Amino acid sequence: MITDFPSSPLPLPREEEAAGELAVLGGRPMIPKGLGRTVFPVITKEDVFTMLLSQRVAPEKVVADFAEAYRAYVGAEFALPTASGTASLHMALAGAGVEPGDEVIVPAFTFIATAQAVVAAHAVPVFVDIDPKTYCMDPGATEAAVTPRTKAIMPVHVHGLPADVPALRALADRCGVRLVEDASHAHSARIDGAVAGSLGDAAGQSLMADKNFPLGGEGGIAFFATEAAYRRARDYLERHGIDYGMSWIAAAFGASQLARLPYYDQIRARNAELLGDALAETGLFRPPYVPAGYVHAYNMYRITLVPEAVGLEDLPVYAVKEAVHELLVAEGVPAREWQNTPIPCHLPFRKRAGFGGSYPFTLNPDAVRDHTPDDFPVTLRMLESTLTLCRELRSPVEYERVLRYADAFRKVARRPDVIRKLVADGGYRRPWEKAARLG
Amino acid sequence: MEPYDTATVLTRVLTSGVVMSIEKNDRELPGLERALKKLTGRSNAVLVNSYTAAVHTALVAQGIGHGAEITQPGLDDRTAAFLAWLGVSVRDGSPATFDSIGVDGGNAGRLRELAATGAPALVVNLTGLGFGPAAAVLTDDPKAWARGERLKIFGAFDLRTMWTQEEADPDLVPGVQFNYRLSPLVAACVRMALTKAAQPAGAAS
Ligand SMILES: Cc1ncc(COP(=O)(O)O)c(C=O)c1O
Repeated sequence: MITDFPSSPLPLPREEEAAGELAVLGGRPMIPKGLGRTVFPVITKEDVFTMLLSQRVAPEKVVADFAEAYRAYVGAEFALPTASGTASLHMALAGAGVEPGDEVIVPAFTFIATAQAVVAAHAVPVFVDIDPKTYCMDPGATEAAVTPRTKAIMPVHVHGLPADVPALRALADRCGVRLVEDASHAHSARIDGAVAGSLGDAAGQSLMADKNFPLGGEGGIAFFATEAAYRRARDYLERHGIDYGMSWIAAAFGASQLARLPYYDQIRARNAELLGDALAETGLFRPPYVPAGYVHAYNMYRITLVPEAVGLEDLPVYAVKEAVHELLVAEGVPAREWQNTPIPCHLPFRKRAGFGGSYPFTLNPDAVRDHTPDDFPVTLRMLESTLTLCRELRSPVEYERVLRYADAFRKVARRPDVIRKLVADGGYRRPWEKAARLG
Repeated sequence: MEPYDTATVLTRVLTSGVVMSIEKNDRELPGLERALKKLTGRSNAVLVNSYTAAVHTALVAQGIGHGAEITQPGLDDRTAAFLAWLGVSVRDGSPATFDSIGVDGGNAGRLRELAATGAPALVVNLTGLGFGPAAAVLTDDPKAWARGERLKIFGAFDLRTMWTQEEADPDLVPGVQFNYRLSPLVAACVRMALTKAAQPAGAAS
């Protein structure tokens, strides 16, 4: 039988392990080889049983029941289940009334799908920089990018922290444009109790199996604040003959996972708090910033480096980051860059072939820019000074794993001498000087 | 399909823990690709999450995009609307730019025979098998396959390394990019249905 059940448990960390030699220098890694895998999603007997029962129900009803249950959980008015997060963003934009050639303002730091969904809607993405603390779309930069052809502002709740919706909502109202959320990282994230996905005029959200709230494979959901917007999206699919339907198999899995989502949310929050407390003590590492009244969903956990806290202020921060990255990976911590260049510097937005013949960019040449990374200094600063954990806080059964991650960061932070040496030998480049990667 | 077969397949994949399409250890998507290639006699398969995704893929695979004109005999209204949305105009007639077959429980056993067509890309709509929207594009042209494959995963060339790969072939990267990825659980059920149907009558296992 092929199973994801772990073959052996991860031992609880002992104090002397964190005091041991760095793995890069021949010491024992904090996460031993062969025990590095984080099991996700956690699949239980409830998931299997729900799946089997769904076979006896009409497929449309399985999908509709799931969408209704999750809509109620989010507190949005209307929901449209889709085959992917990208499709849901496309539908959110269609529902918000985005028309061919319209401008939609998006952050330069996100996953490429946010901007591609705008192109899918035959509209033109206009990229703006991010806030230096939240790493979400900067309301000031957004305001500066509004033109008479702007139809919507599309913030991304990056990594699970809601964007500054109050400021963006006020801006949207002032300018008479729509607010469309990309809530793909932000399941159960909240501002003053209101759940991401219910905050805008419309929202799209990925539910693919690597998100905090996973369906059985690929899926997404669009939310709408009004029936008119919901109908516009449905009519769009009908009129253009597009099949964005969700499989009942993916939906059935989501139904049982939804019942456990609040449990998993609490485990992730607990893990994030534990790790955050440990990082804050190291000086070198700073945990994610969370404004008062905001609930971060920690789909990813982006750690900021503070070289000056350990006497490394004379070194370029990107080099310190690369050295730390090497040290962490050697300790068995799967830290990642997750994005290494602003989205407008990816090939599809440099070449702008679109659907072919540069459509839809040809509809609105004034909105098009040939961007270089320097156009987004805050994004660059973030890219060169941060590292990301992805699934690592999620696994609810392995508290000991988080303890070991915390120890690995402690271990690395204690050795600025080794970081300095690696930097001297390293020949490191800035993230955006390397080829663009999707994640 | 017998519920028992589907139950076994779903439970098997859930037990493996691999439900993500971009998972390194996934065996279900490659398994369905292999089965489709064998049953249709084509050398390359792109799996996608709907019939319209397959039509889009079949065109992108051949370098056909917005502003192009194609010939296609006997298009239905829905597909015609979709092609108009893509910005592709259609002249009714031959040769076909893509062939299209819809597979369901009744004709799945005759896939080999149905697939004996001549267009450079064959769209196989698998939705009728009952596991949700699913489709594939089959082609003998490796370059067409490479272009089509990249449309569904944001220009990446391999589902398993989607996040970390670096571009080696920028000319193949599509402009607009979608998530047209099929779920392994769906692929596993589709493969089971096709394999069962292809067995000679009475040879049920
Ligand atoms: C911020 C963001 N938006 C959109 C998407 C697209 O979602 P999907 O992969 O389900 O199409 C993702 C996905 O990974 C994402 O991270």
